[in-house]
Amino acid sequence: MEKPFILHMLTTAKNLSPFDVNMAMDAGWVSAIPYINVEASEVKDLVQDVIFSRSPKGLKNTGIFIGGRDTKQARDMLKTAKNSMFPPFQVSVFADPSGAFTTAAGMVACVEKELDEKFNTTLEGKTLLALGGTGPVGQAAAVLAAQAGANVRIIGRQLEKSQRIADLCNEEFGEGKINIQAGTDADKADYIKTADVVFATGAAGIELLTAEHIASATQLKVAADINAVPPSGIAGLDAFDNGKAIAGSQSGAVGLGALAIGNIKYKTQSQLLKQMIDSEAPVYLHFEHAFEVARQIVKSTK
Amino acid sequence: MPKRSILHMFDPMPNNSPFDINMAVDTGFDVLMPYNNVKLDSIHGLTQDAIFSRSPAGIKRTGIFIGGRDMGLAMDMIDTAKQAMVPPFEISVLADPSGAFTTAAALVACVEKQLKEKHNKELKDCKALVFGGTGPVGIATGVIASLAGAQVSLVDHMSIDAANDVANEYNRRCQSTLTGSVAGSDEEKSALIADVDIIFCTAKAGIQVLSNEVLAEAKQLKVAGDVNAVPPAGIAGIGANDASIALTSPEGAIGIGALAVGNIKYKVQHKLLELTLDSEKPVYLDFREAFSEAQKIV
Repeated sequence: MEKPFILHMLTTAKNLSPFDVNMAMDAGWVSAIPYINVEASEVKDLVQDVIFSRSPKGLKNTGIFIGGRDTKQARDMLKTAKNSMFPPFQVSVFADPSGAFTTAAGMVACVEKELDEKFNTTLEGKTLLALGGTGPVGQAAAVLAAQAGANVRIIGRQLEKSQRIADLCNEEFGEGKINIQAGTDADKADYIKTADVVFATGAAGIELLTAEHIASATQLKVAADINAVPPSGIAGLDAFDNGKAIAGSQSGAVGLGALAIGNIKYKTQSQLLKQMIDSEAPVYLHFEHAFEVARQIVKSTK
Repeated sequence: MPKRSILHMFDPMPNNSPFDINMAVDTGFDVLMPYNNVKLDSIHGLTQDAIFSRSPAGIKRTGIFIGGRDMGLAMDMIDTAKQAMVPPFEISVLADPSGAFTTAAALVACVEKQLKEKHNKELKDCKALVFGGTGPVGIATGVIASLAGAQVSLVDHMSIDAANDVANEYNRRCQSTLTGSVAGSDEEKSALIADVDIIFCTAKAGIQVLSNEVLAEAKQLKVAGDVNAVPPAGIAGIGANDASIALTSPEGAIGIGALAVGNIKYKVQHKLLELTLDSEKPVYLDFREAFSEAQKIV
């Protein structure tokens, strides 16, 4: 008899996200077992308990999901998990803290599609502002865009924090191959004049870009907002917008709202959870893999 | 529609062991519910909530698993759970903290088998040492071997007081006759092992407790078993996969490695979970039942 599918779900937070639990069940996992308040130092023991209690064949039906809120911690836990296993005692691991990796992947893939369809161009060489970019989604999106060739600036309320996050993104997630800059909200009005693309990933209900900002953004092509709670993060943009022209834009910029991005995010997370089940060899999934999948989904829904 | 089977997994630790989760799912439990940071005084209430929410027919499909790291606490918890039952509202309870009960049961059963087959001896004829004897697997190994009649001493690597305290506590709890010993240096170990028939090694993974030179001093040694699967082995000369290897020195002694023990442990835990799931009458399973199952399996 084939072993039932078990997903061991680790989080550093005090609860799992019910979003991830629903997604895991719907992707075909039969048991989703929570491990909460997990510390980085506990990952190795937990992983080894996972791998030594089933045969290599049974381990094909076993997986580990890493949640939490902190992108670096999740990325480190993924590495630790991978290094705690040895062939043939291996299982697939998928990190998606706060859903940030799949959300960021969905957003960047949608932006690429709009650039291609409406402006016949790519992220390569574009000036990109990541507003409210110090949070988990902003970080992952900034890295993905920078890896795709954009000149990214993370904007936060405090320059010191923006700089710290930019450094983290460059060194930890970009492995020194990208060069994300930092900036502060106070200088937003200047930066926006030369921006081609804007990501708004701030807290829900805060307007990061006003109508005046939009009017002064004469290079702007695509603006994406993950905030589904009114008021939207970008003036004139609605959560349902999926490539609709932004009112008041001089440059014909189009907007991507939270629900359009969320749709791709949802499909991406679901496919990655299924990939863990279907893959012959173990897979170790994070934001880069999420982005590959999101790009394919976006292409196929053209 | 038949009720789905539920295993309520009570654990005093912040998280359950993924090992136990995999085992429980593979035994056939439909639904596993983890309960973390459970304190002893919550067990009564949790148990009654488990029994009173299903009909007597439905609760046959309901079980309790007690995990954690502390053998004494697990025994208190299984006693408390048992007392909380109100017949016919009664369900099976299995305790296996750190997998210690099933690991220890497998270790002692494997050693007992080699004693009989290669040396025609019983545990009751033998003097035994448990290195790493103050940890969960070590204590359970000592208690099982002692209750089977062996003369057993728990060895701590640092403190004779710690070893004596543990021996006294579990003698009181389990009516065993354990003693405590300390051996940190090779000299102390050599002196201690000179007249023993059995060596159990349940020390921390990846630490060699007995070198070839020290082991050669165990002139009476008949069987040595090691549960450390991470190299270097706890006892020099015993590979993790060895089910029964003749040691070069002392001559005639047999070694049993961690994966050979682990294979039996796995089967024992599986069997106990099956009993928890399928028994007509509720069962209360601890290291004693683990040992009798392990004896049948070997």
